[in-house]
Amino acid sequence: MKVFARNRALRDLAITLVVVFGVGSLAMLFAHVSPVVGFGALFDGAFGTKEEFAETLVQATNLLFPALGIAIAFRAGLFNIGAEGQLILGGLAAGWLGAEFPLPGYLAVPMVLVAGALAGGVWGAIPGFLRARFGANEVIATLMLNVVATLLATYLVGGPLAQAGGGDQETATLPKAAQLPDLLANSRLTWAFLIGLAVAFGLRWVLRRTVFGYELRAAGDAPEAARRAGIDLGRTALVAMALAGALAGLGGATIVAGVLHRFNTGLSPGYGFIAIAVALVGNLDPLWILLAALAFGMLQSGGVAMQAEAAVPREVVSLVTGLVIIALAGRRVLATRRTT
Amino acid sequence: MRRRFGAVQAVDGVDLELHSGEIHALVGENGAGKSTLAAIAYGAVAADEGAVDALGTVGLVHQHFKLIDRLRVWENVLLNREPRRGWTIDVPAARARVRALAATYGLEVDPDARVETLPVGIKQRVELLRELDREPAVLLLDEPTAALAPGEIASFFTTVRALAARGTAILVVTHKLAEVIAYSDRVTVMRAGRVVARVATAQTDADAIARAMVGGEVPALAARAATAPAPLLEARGLSAGELGSALREASFEVRAGEIVGIAGIEGNGQSALADAIAGVAPYTGELRFAGEPLRVDDGPAARLARGIRVIPQDRLREALVLDWNVRDNVVLGRQRTLPIAKHADAARTVIERFDVRPPDQEAIVGMLSGGNQQKIVVGRALTSEPRLVVAYQPTRGIDIGAAALVQSRLIEARNAGVGVLLISFELDEIFALADRVLVLANGRFVGTFEREAIDRGRIGALMAGHA
Amino acid sequence: MNALLATLGAVLGLTLVKATPLIYAALGGVLSERSGVVNIGLEGILIAGAFVSVVVSGATGSPVLGACAGVLAGALVAAVLAYAATRLAVDQIVAGTGINIAALAAAAYGLVLIYNQPGASHEVPALGQGGETALIVLAFVAAAVLHVVLSRTPWGLRVRACGEDPGAAESAGIDALRTRFWAVVIGGAIAGLGGVFLSLAELDLYSDGMTAGRGFIALAAVIFGRWTPFGATGAALFFGFFAALQYSLQRAGVPSELMQALPYLAALVALAGFAGRVRAPAADGVPFVRP
Repeated sequence: MKVFARNRALRDLAITLVVVFGVGSLAMLFAHVSPVVGFGALFDGAFGTKEEFAETLVQATNLLFPALGIAIAFRAGLFNIGAEGQLILGGLAAGWLGAEFPLPGYLAVPMVLVAGALAGGVWGAIPGFLRARFGANEVIATLMLNVVATLLATYLVGGPLAQAGGGDQETATLPKAAQLPDLLANSRLTWAFLIGLAVAFGLRWVLRRTVFGYELRAAGDAPEAARRAGIDLGRTALVAMALAGALAGLGGATIVAGVLHRFNTGLSPGYGFIAIAVALVGNLDPLWILLAALAFGMLQSGGVAMQAEAAVPREVVSLVTGLVIIALAGRRVLATRRTT
Repeated sequence: MRRRFGAVQAVDGVDLELHSGEIHALVGENGAGKSTLAAIAYGAVAADEGAVDALGTVGLVHQHFKLIDRLRVWENVLLNREPRRGWTIDVPAARARVRALAATYGLEVDPDARVETLPVGIKQRVELLRELDREPAVLLLDEPTAALAPGEIASFFTTVRALAARGTAILVVTHKLAEVIAYSDRVTVMRAGRVVARVATAQTDADAIARAMVGGEVPALAARAATAPAPLLEARGLSAGELGSALREASFEVRAGEIVGIAGIEGNGQSALADAIAGVAPYTGELRFAGEPLRVDDGPAARLARGIRVIPQDRLREALVLDWNVRDNVVLGRQRTLPIAKHADAARTVIERFDVRPPDQEAIVGMLSGGNQQKIVVGRALTSEPRLVVAYQPTRGIDIGAAALVQSRLIEARNAGVGVLLISFELDEIFALADRVLVLANGRFVGTFEREAIDRGRIGALMAGHA
Repeated sequence: MNALLATLGAVLGLTLVKATPLIYAALGGVLSERSGVVNIGLEGILIAGAFVSVVVSGATGSPVLGACAGVLAGALVAAVLAYAATRLAVDQIVAGTGINIAALAAAAYGLVLIYNQPGASHEVPALGQGGETALIVLAFVAAAVLHVVLSRTPWGLRVRACGEDPGAAESAGIDALRTRFWAVVIGGAIAGLGGVFLSLAELDLYSDGMTAGRGFIALAAVIFGRWTPFGATGAALFFGFFAALQYSLQRAGVPSELMQALPYLAALVALAGFAGRVRAPAADGVPFVRP
């Protein structure tokens, strides 16, 4: 079975590479750019210098948290398309708390991160609750909540939560104490990366070695058998969605506390959606997701350089991301979800 | 009319001839290859080797109806052969065609009824009408009476006989020997993919056919020991389930150290009964376990904690996680009480006591045979300190050796003081195992027989709803 | 009093405009789901219809040709989902999500390539007031036609059979994969018209994000409308009413973001209130694999 699983992961990797380079090359040719030049600029932009590689790790970290959340939901048999909204509200809570209150020294960063996780968790728990209580389909609920989250964040940051020193679409700057410490000078790489590593390993342990992880996987893999084995499917769905939201919210908080040092309504270029591809390419396994996040982080950071230096619009990265998701949709058939 | 087969593996070099106007019975144990043979004949499965020749079309009535529940009767019968008027379906003509067909064969049914609202016996008529509309020269009936009451069986075969008289060749795939003797002209017996006997029905009897099917004597079951039954599960006025297959006001008890068999035709309230005890469906009335009430909102977890184990009817969906290995499946239901360090021991116990093959804890359950999967489900229930075991069709679809092992372990559990509620549609299984037989018809208990006083004919009549 | 009536009239008129793209998308969703394929990709199909129709109208100067191209684009995008959902038997919801992301990105990419500017296209010849009215009327005609097709034609019966039990349908000689494929593709063509309406009837250009989750609201309308053409149309009008209401309430001083959220919140509440009381086609969302 282990060999089998590894082969499947390798097969998925091969499909991913074909889609990325095949479609990417085609799109570059449409823009009258040689794929060699285009991908060259992309790789150079992602790995060329220490600082550029650090930016790749930053992007990987930003994708890692929502991807882990999406994977947890998938393992429970739920599709969380709402990571984007959860991430935005997590970032808003973190930015507002961090900039509004003079938080005490060592507690400032943890409090900002917890605030983000809590806000994302609540936003994720809403579709979880609607599903547990009413049997509402979490897919459509999270799609709606994404739009609502963006509108809510825009409204709050420009209205009730507006801060002196903040702009129309953003909060004020976080004080130094509430910012995540840097890992590397002249880069945006912070402790967020190490936190992400720890969370990924921790989740893997939870999934494999704890009763909670066992019940979550059972609910996802065979819901009716799980129910008859005494597992509360509604509660599992609620907890899984809340956890998924908390992870995405934590990701939003690390962007605010580590990268931007303030909340901005444009803080995510769609991390919550790209993370779906990361979770799928990562085989829904936290350790593989680390690698997948690195790969997609490379596309993100390299994409900027590619646009600047090879004149290939960076939307090509989102395009291949969407196609990778389609190509890997066979990875996990969630046919067990039979609610509306 | 000549038909020839000759595939390998499931069906190994089989020749079979059906004659127009005859009812030919094809019998064999589970896994003997008879269903595969029927599928090859129908064209649903390709033969690796060999050929099928038929004069005219071949129709197949499936054991599990191929009906679409939410469509109407006429839509099911005429699907893909709808009468048209321009671009649209000519609904009045469709209705009339189904009525005419029904009248011709004496299979009355309302063309506009939605299939999901019909009782099982009527659904079977719809299934049959669907095939008859194609005027098949050959009609294959796969376990056609599985869902029918004894009375319905007789009238069903009257219809089949009338069909044969019109020149249709009929092949009945079954394992019910009584029907073979009563209604067929010739019989072919299969075992392990080969034909082992082929005789005119008039020249044989049920015992001879049974010996040919099994290939020797049926394996012996574990001996029954004397027990001292004490009250365990009591039901008073228990009602549950949905309209057609509901359980109505059932009162009964299962004592520790006895096997209570529920005899009845599928769809007469058995699922509702098992689900109520398992705690997965709502019910009204009173259910007491070891003197304490079981409340409706005590879910499966509470029932499991008290020692109630249910072997569900659909092992693939309701009992196993097919992507997981044997060990993780064995502990399902005990995940909160059994420390991880003891998982391997628990799995080893099941593998050894139930002869799971391969004896590998890491084997993925979805890759195992049905018999070995069922051994895991039964083994999980019986090795986790059960006090009451509800076994729903515990030997369905598994080979005779695995079935005997499962049945023996149930008897041993009873000998050890476990209460067993055996729900089965195979009367032979109930008669072999039960200390007491309760007869279920239309959701009500209509008779009780102690082991010494079992009366096969009387039980059959009660099952059919004749008081 | 007169002012109130005038407001009401304006809201109702606007309701029709706001509901029309939702109706087209929801009808496409109904056809797709009745065949057993959940179409999360409706949003991407709206984007494709809106973008391609603008490009073709701009290139040819003919908005009618543009509209035809938009319909074709919707069908093509749907064909990608249909192929993945039938021949590859993948998870339909995951694949649909990929469609949405890819379509949004492809349109954004196309804007840069064709118009040399990110964010929005140039203004192109549009269908005008007459075209807008015609498309609104056509939406209701389409609902009626789809109703007749599903309930009264042999093909409609086959589509419904595949959505309920593709295995049984195949045993009656129906090619379930092919039937599903074409139901999704035709559904995509219908939904593509919704995209055309957004870009060539309501406006005269394509801009990034202009579909704004309408495809998702349409999905809710499919459920709310119990998978029937008329039901989905009614639900689309209901959500369209909330979308229209925001313009009136905005003038009343309610924050615009909260008003914009109204149709989504309405859809969310409808979803929670309706779940468990409606039955999807039995095989909806379940990939069919031949035994």
